Formats: sequence, C-alpha cells, structure tokens
Amino acid sequence: MNLKNCHNFSDFRILAKKKLPSPIFHYIDGAADDEITYNRNTSAFNDVDLVPNVLRGVENVDLSTKIFGKKIDLPFYCSPTALQRLFHYDGERAVGKAAKKFNTMFGVSALATVSVEEISSLIDTPKMFQFYFHKDRGLNDSCLERAKAANFDVMALTVDTITGGNRERDLRTGFTSPPKLTLSSLFSFATKPMWGINYLTKGKFELPHLQDFVKEGTSTNSSIGNYFSTMLDQSMNWSDAEKLCSKWGGHFALKGIMSVEDAKKAVDIGCTGIMVSNHGGRQLDGSRSPFDQLAEIVDAVGDKIDVICEGGFQRGTHMLKALSIGAKACAGGRLYLYALAAAGQAGVERALGQYKAELERDMKLMGCTKISDLNRNNLRFRYT
Amino acid sequence: MSLKDCYNFEDFRKLAKKKLPSPIFHYIDGGSDDETTLKRNTESFNDCDLIPNVLANVGKPDLSTNIFGRKIDMPIFLSPCAMQRLYHHDGDKASAKAANRFGTFYSMSTMANNTIEEISNLSSGPKLFQLYVHKDQSITNDLIDRCRRSGFDGMCLTVDTLVAGNRERDHRTGFTTPPKLTLKSLLSFAAHPTWVFNYLIHEKFKLANVATKTDKGTNIAKSVIDYINEQYDPAMNWKDAEHCVKKWNGPFALKGVMSVEDAKRAIDIGCSAIMISNHGGRQLDGSRSPFDQIKAISDAVGDKLEIILDGGVRRGSHVLKAIAAGAKACSFGKMFLFSLAAGGQQGVEHLLKTIHDEINRNMVLMGCKNLKELNSSKLIYRNNR
Repeated sequence: MNLKNCHNFSDFRILAKKKLPSPIFHYIDGAADDEITYNRNTSAFNDVDLVPNVLRGVENVDLSTKIFGKKIDLPFYCSPTALQRLFHYDGERAVGKAAKKFNTMFGVSALATVSVEEISSLIDTPKMFQFYFHKDRGLNDSCLERAKAANFDVMALTVDTITGGNRERDLRTGFTSPPKLTLSSLFSFATKPMWGINYLTKGKFELPHLQDFVKEGTSTNSSIGNYFSTMLDQSMNWSDAEKLCSKWGGHFALKGIMSVEDAKKAVDIGCTGIMVSNHGGRQLDGSRSPFDQLAEIVDAVGDKIDVICEGGFQRGTHMLKALSIGAKACAGGRLYLYALAAAGQAGVERALGQYKAELERDMKLMGCTKISDLNRNNLRFRYT
Repeated sequence: MSLKDCYNFEDFRKLAKKKLPSPIFHYIDGGSDDETTLKRNTESFNDCDLIPNVLANVGKPDLSTNIFGRKIDMPIFLSPCAMQRLYHHDGDKASAKAANRFGTFYSMSTMANNTIEEISNLSSGPKLFQLYVHKDQSITNDLIDRCRRSGFDGMCLTVDTLVAGNRERDHRTGFTTPPKLTLKSLLSFAAHPTWVFNYLIHEKFKLANVATKTDKGTNIAKSVIDYINEQYDPAMNWKDAEHCVKKWNGPFALKGVMSVEDAKRAIDIGCSAIMISNHGGRQLDGSRSPFDQIKAISDAVGDKLEIILDGGVRRGSHVLKAIAAGAKACSFGKMFLFSLAAGGQQGVEHLLKTIHDEINRNMVLMGCKNLKELNSSKLIYRNNR
C-alpha cells in the first residue's frame, strides 16, 4: 500500500499504522477510557440525513469562508496538534506548507516541535497558536509574546485539558515524549527502521516553545497525560482566561467549549470564537459529541462569535452537515495526522485535496454553490 | 448454486458475484463514500411496521397500478440502469423481455448498450426512457425524438448526477467502460472465463444510443465517472428540465428528487411524476433515504404527482410499506441487475416472479384487496415523527 492507494480517511490510517512504531500510532489513534466519545464524534453525523435540491445550475462552487476576520479558501482547517515531528520528520513544516497551499488556517500547538518563528518564516497564510495555561507564568508570557511577534492571527486557549485524560492505549504501549525505548516497545521500534532512522538523523527532537522553561517532554520523558496533570495550572478560571484574552489583544478563542452557558461566557469575556470540541474524545469519555451539541451552541451565540465544530470529521459530507447547522468552519486533528504520518507534506496535501474534492462534489449534489447556501432545511434528523 | 436456489436479494447477489469479474460486480454492488446511504436505503424500511387487518376475505388481491399512463400488473418495475451488457451478454434485451412478460415497466438508460429502436421492436410492453441532459443539446433532443417515434410511454430525467459520486470501490478495482484489462483485474477476468467468452463472442459493447454522437464510453476505456463528468451538463437547471418536459409532451418524471420544495417545482414545470431517489446511494453519501423522505413528499404533493420510490427495495413488504406511505409504485436497480447477471432473461423473470409472489402473499396477510386499501393507517413508525 502506498499514497496513491489512499482514497479516504481510513486508507490514510492504515498506511500510517504501517509506517509508525506502534506506541506512536496508538497515541494518535487512541482516546480516553472506552473511546465511546471518540467513536460517537463520527457516528453522530449518521443520525442526520442530507436532503438535496436539484436543477440549480451548479458548475462553480465557492468553498471559502471567513473566520477570525480572515478569508480562507476551505471551510475546514488543521487543528493544532502536539508533537508532529514524531509522526513525520518534517512535522509542522509539512502540515503548515500543505495548509498554505490550500489557503486554510494552520493551528500550531504549544507542544509543537517546530517554532512559531520558523512557521512564520515558511507560511504567510492564516495561523493560529494554541496555548496551554501553565503554572509557570513566565512560560505563558513568553508563548504569547513569541506568537504575537511571529504574526499569528489567532490565539486559542485550550480549556478541556485541565488534567490528563485516561488514555489507556498509551498506558499499555508506554508512549512518552520524547519516545522512550522499553522492552515492550522495542520490537515495534525495531520493525519500523525507517521511522527510527529519520527520527535520529533529521534534526533533534525539540519542543521549542517550552524547553527553555520545562524539561518534561524534551530531556525528561513524560506521557502527555502526565504533562497535563503536572505542568498545567488546574486553578485556571474565567478571570484568567479574560486576562489572557485582553493581553493578546486580537482574535481569541476558547478551544474545548461544550456547554451553552460556557459559550455565552466566552462571548462575555471578549472571545471572537470558540471551538466546540471534546479534544477528539481524548479527555472526558462519555462527553457529548461536538456535532450533537452544535445546534444548541449556534442558536445561543452563533450570531456573536465564530463557532467552529471540531472533531469526528472523516468526510466532506460530515463537514456539510456541520456547516448546515451553522458552524463557521470545521476542524480536525486526525483529519490530517494519519496523512502526515503516511507521507509528510505530500500526504497532507493529498488528504486536504480529497476533502476539498469531496466538498465540491457534495455541494453540487446538494444543489449549493456557496457555504452560505447551506442551512438546516438541508437536514433531517432521524430521531427527534 | 443456481437460479433455482435464489429466493431473495442476498441469493441473487451471491450468484451474481460468482458469475461476474470483480470490478463489474463491485460497480453494481458499491455506493459512494462510506456507503452509509446505500445501507440506510434498505434499513429505513425496518423503522416502521405493518399493521394487518384480519378476516378481510381478500380472495385474489388486485396488484395493478397506473403510472406513466399505463396500467401495470404489479407495483414494481425495473429502474433504468446503464450498460446492462456488462452484466449479461443479452443486456437490455433480457430485461425488456422479462418485464414485458410480467406486465411491468422496463426502463432504458441513456447509457444502454442497445438502441431505443431495437428494444421497441422486441417489446410492446410498458417502456420508460431515462434521459441525461448532455452538454451538447442535440444529443438530448435526438433521444427524445427517437423515443417518441419508437412508442416509449414515459420519460424520466435524472437530476442527481450533476457530478459523479465518489465510488471508492471503482477506484480500487479500476472499473472502466468498456472493461479494460489491467494487471490487477486480469486475475478476476481470468477467473470468470464464461463471462469473458460471452462478452467477446456477442455483439460489440457500445453506448448504442449516443454512439453516433460521441465516442466516449465506446472506443476508449473511460470510467463511467469520467463520462458523467465530461458529458453531462453541470449547469442544468429548471429551465432545461422544463424544455425536456415540453419537448416530450407526455408522461414525464424527474428522477432523483428528494426535497419537498423540488417536488412542488416538478409540478410547476409540468411533470406528471417524480422518482424519489438518491441514485441507490451511489451519489451523495449521507443523503436521506427515499423511504425516510417519502411521507413528507406525499403529504405535500401526493394528490398531484405520481410518486415512485426508487432505492433500497428488496422485499415485497418494502413495496407494501412504500405504497402505504404514498408511493404509486416502486422501482429497483441493484436487485434486478444481480438477477440479470445471475441468469439473463430467465434470471430477471425469476426475480419478478419471486417479488410478485411476495407482494401478493403480503397483501393477503395484510387483508388488503387492492393497493388503494394500503394507506397510511396500515403503518406505524417506531420513532414518532
């Protein structure tokens, strides 16, 4: 199997599995507890059906949308995800360049393996920095200042990782950052020699936004769950978020909002957007899927801030459904991570290109030529 | 396994799978994307239940219904399907003769391998022609004129294929028309020597109705998908549809209508019927199933249009449910194509007999003397809607 056999999400996943040492694959592929929320994030789309309109004359489709004051050419973007150089040696460079090619937003994680300065020198398209609220206030200030200096357009504060989720696959595989060779993972690293060679020869593994302040993740092995639980500030509250928002002084979003009440508070503290997200099912298992919760949130705050639906997207039609409910854009991590692991920048470009082609085709089949043509009249819920 | 072992959809499917090279089998069997709509089309019938009335003395129930100005002997007919010659060397000739024998509609696709004239010479039974609006309008007009001269009863315009669906099985098998030998598919063709023998010794594969106008799909190995994307007009709109309705000036259906709004517009442009369909789950995955949607449409326009439910029908009881929800008739594609692949004309006849007997038996069990008695009071939906 190679890249040209990858026609969909599940094909990329299979190829990624072939290329990655198993602890690393399962870090991407896994989620919290029994992974019920993770599965629901996608299956939720199947409880709603699309009702097309015909004979509309649809030769040209415009997929562009505007989020955080920026026009992007696609109604979906790459969510910030951690540790991308573990998945492919080009890491964020590959994803950023692919996002640039399609002129969509690229999210860079605080736990990124390439610096905001380098990203900013590589791409001039819309960029989002994702921020974790650390106990170390010096680290927090440094992240904000560097992202600002590097001309990032949006700051997204993650609010659903106040403690680490129970990712049992990582417990079993012994996944840590940086990767640690254990007896149980040895075999898996040994059977993927290319990954090992690239990891060791293509530049040192770093967490450039954090390593001046903390050892965990770079010189000290840490699981991600452990990192969240020990390094992040569990006392974080609305007043902290409000201060960060005004300190940033630009487009600011909360990532991981699920309740209508919190969405309203986000508006009150000055946010310009929210990501409705459960962190890809990796934190609180049993929590509601973003798509199931989307309508309530759009109804409450959709006219005041950009509501972004994040999680579970594997198809253009999934995106069409979220956009029909009223999401301004869709976002995902696994959406492009398997493709990154499968083939670096070329993989991500193929994945983004496929979603784009699916969306164009699906828009035509729906009888729609622009994103604003999509609305809830297009949808029927099977169970009401 | 042979035809006489075929009692239901799954049996016909299995026998077809045995007889066909795998790219061809999967072209019939597959849907778009994750095939969720394909599955839902049939599953949706299970979300509602039939409520029989007993002691109704039904005798021999009358299964006839009127569509496209013709009385047919049972409320199900053959959907238009492209390239039937790939599934059996007799292709459309087999389907047309079988449908005629059972007094129901045979439908011819624009992409049929036999000509309009050939088929009309061998069947005087009810015939429907399925039209695609081509970018070259003279192709479209020519088809309409020829159907009128050849005595076709009705015309349906397909409106859900402005762009081809994402049929991933075809990407993987490398399905093209006419079939192309690739290293990958070679093994599968070699494993089905009878199919290959029949394909080669019988008449040449061509898209008979458009062969003089375009060489696409005839001379070069083109995937169907490319044909659709190159030849069909994505700018097609209600005016173009109205032009076809006027030009035909007889019973006319839009095939692939799903929204209530579009069903109402179909009346406005002079259609006599609509086929509620998502193209057998082969186009927009995630779109609603015809059966889930039929009630809303029949409540809105059931008294003004003949409603035909196309998609997911595999059982007599499915037909009964569709009629009770407002359909005048149902049509099926996949199921009849499997029967065609399984046994040619004989296979299709075996299927039509089987489904006729199921409908008949179920009508008796329901206590209904005719299709009019099958109304919405006979159905209860499990989830209130």
